[in-house]
Amino acid sequence: MTTRRTTLASRIGLPAAVVGLLLFTLFPVYWMVSTALDPKASLRGSDVLPSGISFEHFEFVFDKGNFGTYLMNSAIVGLTTIVAAALLSLFAAIAVARFKFRFRTSVLIMILIVQMVPLEALVIPLFIQMRDYDMLNSLLGLSIVYIALSLPFAIWTLRGFVATVPKEVEEAAYIDGASWPRMFWSVLLPLVAPGLVATSIFAFITAWNEFVFAYTFMKGSDKYTAAVGIYQFFGENSTAWGPVMASSTLVTVPVMIFFVIVHRKLGSGLAAGAVKG
Amino acid sequence: MPAPRGPRQPDGAAESARRRKKLITLTRPWLLLAPSLVVLAGLLLWPLIQVGKLSLQDYKVKFGGGEATFTGFDHYSDLLTSSLLWKTVLPNTVFFAFACVGLTVALGTLVALLLNRLGATWRMICSIAILAAWAMPAVTGTYVWIWLFQPQDGMVSQIAGSVGLIDPETTNWFTERVPFYAIATLNVIHHGFPFVAITVFAGLLTIPKELYEAGELDGANAWQRFWNITVPTIKPVFLVVTILSTIWDFKVFTQVYLQPGGDGSNEEVYNLGVFSYIQAFAKNDYGTGAAAAVLLTVLLLIITVVYIRTLFRQGEEDL
Repeated sequence: MTTRRTTLASRIGLPAAVVGLLLFTLFPVYWMVSTALDPKASLRGSDVLPSGISFEHFEFVFDKGNFGTYLMNSAIVGLTTIVAAALLSLFAAIAVARFKFRFRTSVLIMILIVQMVPLEALVIPLFIQMRDYDMLNSLLGLSIVYIALSLPFAIWTLRGFVATVPKEVEEAAYIDGASWPRMFWSVLLPLVAPGLVATSIFAFITAWNEFVFAYTFMKGSDKYTAAVGIYQFFGENSTAWGPVMASSTLVTVPVMIFFVIVHRKLGSGLAAGAVKG
Repeated sequence: MPAPRGPRQPDGAAESARRRKKLITLTRPWLLLAPSLVVLAGLLLWPLIQVGKLSLQDYKVKFGGGEATFTGFDHYSDLLTSSLLWKTVLPNTVFFAFACVGLTVALGTLVALLLNRLGATWRMICSIAILAAWAMPAVTGTYVWIWLFQPQDGMVSQIAGSVGLIDPETTNWFTERVPFYAIATLNVIHHGFPFVAITVFAGLLTIPKELYEAGELDGANAWQRFWNITVPTIKPVFLVVTILSTIWDFKVFTQVYLQPGGDGSNEEVYNLGVFSYIQAFAKNDYGTGAAAAVLLTVLLLIITVVYIRTLFRQGEEDL
């Protein structure tokens, strides 16, 4: 009796849940892309299918909106952040996962606490500091902020990964006569590579998606990042929805492709971080 | 460094080698940590101290720097006695955050359980859909939700109008706090539940199947099995996702700021973050903005302390 009810429930319940999930997750994405392609974007209303397919909004955001520059700025900031954050967090993760030392727990707790600092609390003093040092409008200045923002989570995630590498593997390498740097490159690094991938993704996403700092610090319009660049098409009273959705698509799709390619590593990275953290 | 003990003094060379080794062991973790600590201290900790200092001052912008006058706790007493804080800003912040956390964790867990019951193909399809929602940046996600709920020509407005639910000519979802935050909540859940779903799902995979078989033999129904087997077994995972969601959802800024009226033009929909930002950057009142930022930080600090204490009390992991 229980089994029959379960089968009946799952026969209707499971497909319904799957359809609901797909609609909720994908409809906004579909709506964004199809509005971007719809030549009469702002008149769409409740038409599920676009009135036609054209790339005119994409051409507009590149020709008139300078969006190529913004994408380039975002890419530069994102890559700088990935490289620096991955390197720094790997060193720090090795330190806290591999060595016993005084104040280790205090360091870990401090890292946890700075993760909760609200951006709005930082944006005021950092703005004043950056202005005093003439660092506003600088892609490097923005990258440094993003490196700091992505470090706490990166260290916690990588810490789980380094901890799962058995110490015996390292010791075996030492016995075979490897030096510490050699052990690092040929033993530890390959084993924590999935964790580094997960960390890099988060660092990149942080930098690519961030709005508050980029919006506050970058006032010269050729220094906008892509996330801020969309804002210019957005008006309080009349919004050009075609360009807004076309530029939104340009910001979103690279991240989605990235996610889908690396999603296996991402899942295990999070699990290691969460379970070990 | 302690002096060598014992009657037998080792010879000089061995002693200095031993010392060097000890020095390396002592400093190596700190050398590895140094770059991260410098960045974190310089860009997160130091500004946090500065914002505390700023909240006790009146800061005037001057060419080539600023001028600060010490005002004591004036900004705090003004802030804590304003009805705007108690009637609008705090309720908006707190209710919105808890609604987002509760719904995000609930939906994420349901989806994780769903993924666990699906076959390989559908699990793959659903995972990719979840990743798509997750990968959508907060900024672009927000624009799409605004576009869907846009007065008059937005899809939801037109559908609600055509079935007679609202008058699309006069209804603006964004002017009142409840619909405004309902849309923001939908947006935050859409963006936030994938993290919970994927993390909880990874946790579910670690639960031995035998536990459920034993539970079924004992006659436990699905709900009892979930509550008595799943939840206790992966409690650490639930703790982490709940606390992280809480920390993230108290800090939501972009999703509120970008919605029509959320940039400070409508006082009804202020939350702490937006209030702080507007005071500092639109009204040039850095002191009050900083005081509000400190208030938000204290709220989050309390939550984080609870988090750390729970982690410690659990005693799992030697931190």
